[in-house]
Amino acid sequence: MKELVDLSTKSVSLERNDYLKVSGSADTNAYYVESGSLRVFVLDDCDEQIIRFGYTGDLIASLDSFFSGKPSELYIQAIKRTVVRVIPKQEIDAFLQRDSNRLLWANMLESLIIQQLEREIDILTTSPKERYMRVLKRSPRLFQEIPNRYIANYLRMSAETLSRLKKS
Amino acid sequence: MQSEQLIQSLIEQTRRIINQAEQLKTLDNPTLNWKEHETSWSILECLEHLNLYGDFYLPEIETKIKASASKSELEFRPGLLGNYFSQSMLPKERLNKMKTFKDKNPLNSSLDRTTIDRFLAQQMRLLQLLNESREVSLNKVKVPTTLTKLIQLKLGDAFPFVINHNIRHFKQIENVQKAMKEV
Repeated sequence: MKELVDLSTKSVSLERNDYLKVSGSADTNAYYVESGSLRVFVLDDCDEQIIRFGYTGDLIASLDSFFSGKPSELYIQAIKRTVVRVIPKQEIDAFLQRDSNRLLWANMLESLIIQQLEREIDILTTSPKERYMRVLKRSPRLFQEIPNRYIANYLRMSAETLSRLKKS
Repeated sequence: MQSEQLIQSLIEQTRRIINQAEQLKTLDNPTLNWKEHETSWSILECLEHLNLYGDFYLPEIETKIKASASKSELEFRPGLLGNYFSQSMLPKERLNKMKTFKDKNPLNSSLDRTTIDRFLAQQMRLLQLLNESREVSLNKVKVPTTLTKLIQLKLGDAFPFVINHNIRHFKQIENVQKAMKEV
């Protein structure tokens, strides 16, 4: 990870609720979260649907734009005061000219695919309780860092259901 | 100028405006309603003024995009009048006064914090329209103005017109906050 962070060209500070990216922009940067946390979401009609979170120490990006260079409908918003390091796509492309770096990158992508698969299973799991248990087991950190209303949205359940599950 | 470049820069400007509006939410009610003189606008009144314009322009733009059979074009050529209008909206070094039409004057209307939420919802809608505008011609789609039905702006001029108007009144909001600190 450190090798990638060293590629960053600048830092951006965000206040709580500031948007790092909005729908429609073609943002090809990757961002390393130096402090704070962010959420990635889409608007489904007028309802927000959270796709992912980024915590301190994570790499976060609008993955579709990052890979394709095209505009994406994703929003990335700071949940609390956050500082990110900006890593432009071309820096990463240059970094990947070296074979040894490509191996590192392949490992990162593999773990990303596994995470995406886990998330897909989460969403396809019918029982709210099962969904909650899966995510609790996989990422206890989520429940320490992210406000409940966002976790509930991420788990596709009401805030009331989540608080009931947490108590049981 | 390139259509895609224009759309990207308008989206970026809108992102900044959204972030400024999000930060207004952290202010308390007395600050949001404070005004320098009886006839000057509070922060909420500035936002409501923008909302009143949004209520007109956003549905107009949406209808015109939906109704258009035009194809997207690589190049956008600003219209003479349209370019003049949108440039005139931008604040000058020292914020110049402009006349407000009576039906767009929010002075002393009763406003609360939902004014900010309404503004933010409009900005999300604006982003969506900017997205949709990629499918049509920024040159051929025409949007009527509030001034008179006779003057129509090219879609590619209408967006900067609306967004520069937002920028203008966020500059005014900045000035209101400065004036408040000096009291």
